[in-house]
Amino acid sequence: MVQDEKKDFKNLEAKIARIKDRKQKVEKLIELGKFYFLNEKYDEAIEKFKEASKIDEKNAEIYYNLGIVYESKNLPDEASRMYTKALELNPGHQLASKHLEKIVGK
Amino acid sequence: MRQCVVLGLGIFGASIAKTLAEKGCQVLAIDEDEEKVKEISDIVTQAVQADATDEKALRALGVDKMDVAIVSTGEDMEASILITLLMKEFGIKTIVSKAVSPSHGTVLRKVGATRVIFPERDTGVRVAKSLAAPDILEHISLSPEYSILEVHAPKSFIGRSLKEIDVRAKHGVDIIAIKKKLPYLTDTGESDFKEEILITPKADEEIADGDILVVLGDNKNIDKLRSL
Repeated sequence: MVQDEKKDFKNLEAKIARIKDRKQKVEKLIELGKFYFLNEKYDEAIEKFKEASKIDEKNAEIYYNLGIVYESKNLPDEASRMYTKALELNPGHQLASKHLEKIVGK
Repeated sequence: MRQCVVLGLGIFGASIAKTLAEKGCQVLAIDEDEEKVKEISDIVTQAVQADATDEKALRALGVDKMDVAIVSTGEDMEASILITLLMKEFGIKTIVSKAVSPSHGTVLRKVGATRVIFPERDTGVRVAKSLAAPDILEHISLSPEYSILEVHAPKSFIGRSLKEIDVRAKHGVDIIAIKKKLPYLTDTGESDFKEEILITPKADEEIADGDILVVLGDNKNIDKLRSL
């Protein structure tokens, strides 16, 4: 019984560590993406944000950032798709709705 | 300061009134609908609920002293013709009237409109043009041969300076301005960008991904540039 509990605890610890690791990875990729965006390296920024979205599909922040980069590259259709996705995941994302309104029209 | 009166506060009239006020004009906004007047009252100099075909009421409001009149009651053709005529009788120099059809426009011109606007037709043309040539954002035709165009920077220009590209010698056009997007992080660390326009950019200015070029030149040369 005690053995089983110990095993469960270890499994849980490993799970938490995996989640932490995943979160850190995503954060790092977002940070890198922003770095490339600030340096007007839009294609590299897109690559990083896309990589992040593969790990964390439900992160509104990633899609908002993809929208911003696409808009900066004058790709309004792609940008509006990304802003829409960001708003689906986080309807309160003010910057995403501001940019989407600018592209699509109020 | 220009004094303008906007008669009719639908979407078209209200946006004209708002923009004129933002540009520093004194704006008197008139509509019969109390709600519409209320909506715009904080933005314009004065917003009044009145019948825009009532000559006495308009004179009492000082409409006859205005420099510009915008007659934006297009859907009600009879009213828009009557109001345009009244503005002409008041001696207003610039009368801009909104028309819903070509015949409506002809009548408005005859009764005194100095400019007739067809918002639906004009928007239709603009939308079609933008769909046919998505890289052209604005087009000002200077003559049948020459234009000023806003176009996306061709891929082959990115990362190169204006001096290196040398569009005047190589393509026979001038880049008179560049619209740039400047990425930055907000106070909360979120990505965003500011838009900046460089008028008569210097030779060492580098073209970046996402730049919009304002190009002046011969239509044929501009078309060649667009196909790069």
